[in-house]
Amino acid sequence: MKKSLSLLVIVVLLSVIGASSLVSAQDVSLTLWVYDDGRLEVLNQLGEQFEAEYGVSLSVEVVDLSEIRNTMTLGAASGEGPDMIIIPHDNLGPLVENGAAAVIDLGDKAESYLPNAIDGFTYNGALYGLPLAVENIGFFRNSELVPDAPATWAEVAEIGQALFDEGKIDSAIGLPDLTYNIYPVFTSFGGYIFGRDDAGNFTVEDFGLNNEGMAAGLAWVKSLVDMGIVSDNIDWESSHVLFETGRSAFIMTGPWAINRFDTAGVPYAISAFPAAEEGGEPGYPFLGVQGLVVNAYKENALLAQVFAVDFLATEENYQAIFDAEPRPSAWASIFNAAEDPNTAGFNAAGVNAVPMPSIPAMGYVWDAWVNAGTLVVQGELSPEEALDGAVAQVLAQLEAD
Amino acid sequence: MNQSSPQLSRLSYVINLGVVGVMLVAMMRVILMMMADGLYPLASALSAITVFLALVYLRRRFTPVRWFGIGIALALLFTLYPILFTLYLSVTNMGSGHLMTKPQAVDQLESQLYLPEGGQTYGWTAYESPGGNYALWLLPEEGPGLLAIPGQSIEAVTVGERGVGELDDDGIPESIEGYERLPVNRTVAIIPALGAIDFGKAPNTVRIRSLREAAELKQKYRYDDGQDAIVDEETGTLFKPLKGTFTSVEGEELTPGYIVYVGIKHFDHFIGNARFREPLFKIFGWNVAFAFWSVFLSFAVGLMVTLLFEGLPGSRLIRALLIIPWPIPVLISILIWRNMLNPDLGFVAPALESIFGSSPAWFQDAAWTRIGLIMVNVWLSYPYFYVISAGAIRSIPHEIYDAAVVDGAGHWNKFYHITLPLLLRILMPLLIASFTFNFNNFNVIYIFNFGRPPMPDTIVPMGQTDILISFVYRLAFINTNVTNYGLAAAITVMLFFLISMMVVFQVRFTNLFREAE
Repeated sequence: MKKSLSLLVIVVLLSVIGASSLVSAQDVSLTLWVYDDGRLEVLNQLGEQFEAEYGVSLSVEVVDLSEIRNTMTLGAASGEGPDMIIIPHDNLGPLVENGAAAVIDLGDKAESYLPNAIDGFTYNGALYGLPLAVENIGFFRNSELVPDAPATWAEVAEIGQALFDEGKIDSAIGLPDLTYNIYPVFTSFGGYIFGRDDAGNFTVEDFGLNNEGMAAGLAWVKSLVDMGIVSDNIDWESSHVLFETGRSAFIMTGPWAINRFDTAGVPYAISAFPAAEEGGEPGYPFLGVQGLVVNAYKENALLAQVFAVDFLATEENYQAIFDAEPRPSAWASIFNAAEDPNTAGFNAAGVNAVPMPSIPAMGYVWDAWVNAGTLVVQGELSPEEALDGAVAQVLAQLEAD
Repeated sequence: MNQSSPQLSRLSYVINLGVVGVMLVAMMRVILMMMADGLYPLASALSAITVFLALVYLRRRFTPVRWFGIGIALALLFTLYPILFTLYLSVTNMGSGHLMTKPQAVDQLESQLYLPEGGQTYGWTAYESPGGNYALWLLPEEGPGLLAIPGQSIEAVTVGERGVGELDDDGIPESIEGYERLPVNRTVAIIPALGAIDFGKAPNTVRIRSLREAAELKQKYRYDDGQDAIVDEETGTLFKPLKGTFTSVEGEELTPGYIVYVGIKHFDHFIGNARFREPLFKIFGWNVAFAFWSVFLSFAVGLMVTLLFEGLPGSRLIRALLIIPWPIPVLISILIWRNMLNPDLGFVAPALESIFGSSPAWFQDAAWTRIGLIMVNVWLSYPYFYVISAGAIRSIPHEIYDAAVVDGAGHWNKFYHITLPLLLRILMPLLIASFTFNFNNFNVIYIFNFGRPPMPDTIVPMGQTDILISFVYRLAFINTNVTNYGLAAAITVMLFFLISMMVVFQVRFTNLFREAE
């Protein structure tokens, strides 16, 4: 009895497996994973248009970015994951290294895009993603306390000191972190993380993390702390609260903070970043690019490329995406048409922005960089010592690869 | 049953044999497939389990094991296999760029195509026969159109030949005999199928590479079994395996790479380095101290509260208030503490400054961060000890105290010689469990200050308040675009030994305690 039952179970299981493999051979459809839901609706609408036109349905799912990353690196080679994903470009490196990203041939359409958006999704000289939107931080000032944007970082310190002495503020400038959000300070002094090789790829060979500009940037931060006009507790939340309550004159942060500043009602203006010295080059931030990447391991890769290049990449569709969620578009004409002062301010701040390096080594940089900055601010090490230590940490981990 | 009905027994044996046979065949197939993909650890684990199950269900001697045979097999698969797999990973280079096995990497490389020099590209139109076969009409940039059918050589065809009908304005035939012309919108849906077909006769074939273009694409890489190397068909370059990457003599590397054995490199790299080893022992020391003081102080506070409020008027209300920290989600409690202690926003700093004239650096100074962490953790866990010790105290018989009073014992003596020993006897297992929990209390450490402030002069980023688990998390998983599983596994193995020492110590400790009773 038991035996024949188990035999029956096995037969049923086998036939289910057989049947399911037959079913999956039908209908062609595309799957797309996005990591935030801001564009979900517009993508679903575009998917319906695509289906009406070509008879191929599109299903869009919101999936956590870390889940997208894991599936696409660990699982893609064995057939897991969606046909397409939308990701920030700095996640691209490992996908390309693992063969999971398909090359996108934009043809003539490439000219309609912002060059640095294309640059963000270019890896080893080939384009691996369809850029959708770009994003960078800006330089905020409390426009009531500081009517005109300062031209140099020294001026920022002077204004901050004066307002602090008058008792109008508790903190000269909001520093949300010691890396990404203050990168323009470093770049204005000539700092950078990775230089580029002859082919235009970021390379570990030219590692700028401990160059003079980076040290000068940290020295400037340390001088503010020593003057007592910036807290030695560098904290994202504190810096934003101090600015939105009018207790801080400046802050460096991104479009995501606009909403809370508006709600708090603090008068602010966004401008380009100050320079190291009068007449110098203003600091530039990292550029983040969001784009669509095709999973190279899927049978539908060719179809996904048709969706991306032949269907999605039109000015009309990009306008629809921009209207649904007003993030600066990667489509040049739409980007340039943005008129409101906030967007114009971010665009002025990001005019020379360089895409954040997406090479795997960048992953080792962040933690070492934060630690170096923290050690300097707390007076444990000099900027040079701390940054040399950070470089040693990154190289040690690269070697261990 | 077997004696009463030998026929049934024989029948059941045959059925049993059949079922096990089917299972063996199925498992063998799965295992062979895994071996082909290079998944050796899983394949060997499954082989062992298969042999085990076959023995259990075929040998009469193992009949008693039958009922939990499957259970044992699953236990082996889900506990032993992860441990073995971690050990295996720790001696491999698995990580970004080396995530697949060699056969998988070869497959991926062999699927790459290229357009040879002088190779033609065409615009294309698809045709479908009722039998589901496809044909392409290819339009070169200049010259007449060509007909491409799988297995037949591609040739220029004029109207009337091979059933080709009248051409439209674009030079594409309206019809081809035996085929139906597909409009573009119907082509899109079948493009995955079309893209996999070689049109024409080998070696002169054409493949589709986008909606607009088909080209004379060729396979770019071919794996040469004899040389164990990848040959670039375009340039003739030979790529030999080197540390899990096919590498040319000039040092050019092909992606993706694959997983290879790298020996004790990961262990050597870090254990052999004093700037890793010494800070790691500091982290271990703090980890033990954190767990010990958290448990000791929470227990002390909980017990104190129990004793203080025992029998007081209004003690019920006070008790209810004291338990408040407990039901609040830990995550929120820690964030509240973090904000209260924040030097710029919280109320603790101004309050302390107005009393003492200065306030400690809760997040910047290592010692103060540690004190803050233990404080927060005690606040989180004393209600637990309060509740269980309040309950346990009731179970101590009152006669013992009466006897002690007769002997002239004061409050202190009653507590020290009666309450405490009897309580400890009941609560010791809970204290041990609580110690183990706090030893891996990632939440408090990570949410409070991410294991910071940083330690200077270490070979990898480490924090003054990192415990082992938060250190490994930061090292192996916080990075968004590096995943070095081999290294993470090696460190996990090291921690495995450190924590095993702890466990052995705890087990011995509890045993000693029991023997003393």
